[in-house]
Amino acid sequence: METIKIAATDRSPEVEFDYSLNHFALRGESYPENVNEFFGPLMEQLEEYFETLSGAEINFVFELIYFNSSTAKILMGLFDMLDEAAERGNKVRVEWRYEEDDDNMEELGEEYGEDLEHAKFILTKVPAV
Amino acid sequence: MLAPEMYEFRNLLAEKGILFCYSGYMTEDVLSGIGQAIRMKLELENADKKIARSVFSLFVEQVQNVIRYSAEKEEFIAGTVQKELRFGVLTVGHKDGSFFVSCSNLIEGKDVSRLDESLKHIQQLDNDGLKKLYKETLRGETPEGSKGAGVGFIDIARRAQKGFEFDFMPVKDDRSYFSIKAYV
Repeated sequence: METIKIAATDRSPEVEFDYSLNHFALRGESYPENVNEFFGPLMEQLEEYFETLSGAEINFVFELIYFNSSTAKILMGLFDMLDEAAERGNKVRVEWRYEEDDDNMEELGEEYGEDLEHAKFILTKVPAV
Repeated sequence: MLAPEMYEFRNLLAEKGILFCYSGYMTEDVLSGIGQAIRMKLELENADKKIARSVFSLFVEQVQNVIRYSAEKEEFIAGTVQKELRFGVLTVGHKDGSFFVSCSNLIEGKDVSRLDESLKHIQQLDNDGLKKLYKETLRGETPEGSKGAGVGFIDIARRAQKGFEFDFMPVKDDRSYFSIKAYV
């Protein structure tokens, strides 16, 4: 599958889905006008792709500055998807990066991470911009 | 008489600590524009980053509520696309050591008791209770009649470190005026 690269806007994150390396990343702000329009096709494609994998190494990096509650729901589905991929025997590593002074983003990461039963979860502090 | 009248209006807003005030049709472009101005203002004021993030988040969730749910709306067709404009009033300010974000809009009378109940419920939850409800709602089915995640108000409660208040006032045509104000 071809690599998907979407540049960040003021209100939507940078998307980098490298299917050849199984490296995936979402970075930046996420409060798009219509979350389903933005994330729907991306999530559908990702889910179909994950179902074809077995014994693969998957890396997913979240480096979000702000996201709204509609995005939070998408992220919940994405975490479930990643955990299911791990349950099916893939080696899944999920990294949640947050700016060092952003307690709230750290806490949100912990909340998502604690639900992962099969995927490996890493919280990483990065310098504040 | 233009300037005296508007100056009086301006002073009334200033007395209430209001830094931003918008009354009119809320659109996503309005959200983007005012949102950027709020972030700039908070940066200029050297507001604590945590507070600035909370204020911004309260602003986004409240304005998106108006955009999606205000009962004061106009619908029209542009080309083949059905469009709508929804009306609301937003204020963002700083008074007595707290920032606040408030939105007000008309809602249908039949929605009052459901909204009142869920907001009262959220209001009395502690942090752990809010976290639990937040996650349950993210996982659950979208409530009937909801276009968003339905977690907006829970998010508001979590971000409003100094709490929030709300009330309703019946107005004409079986509609009520709804107002919410969250403090950081």
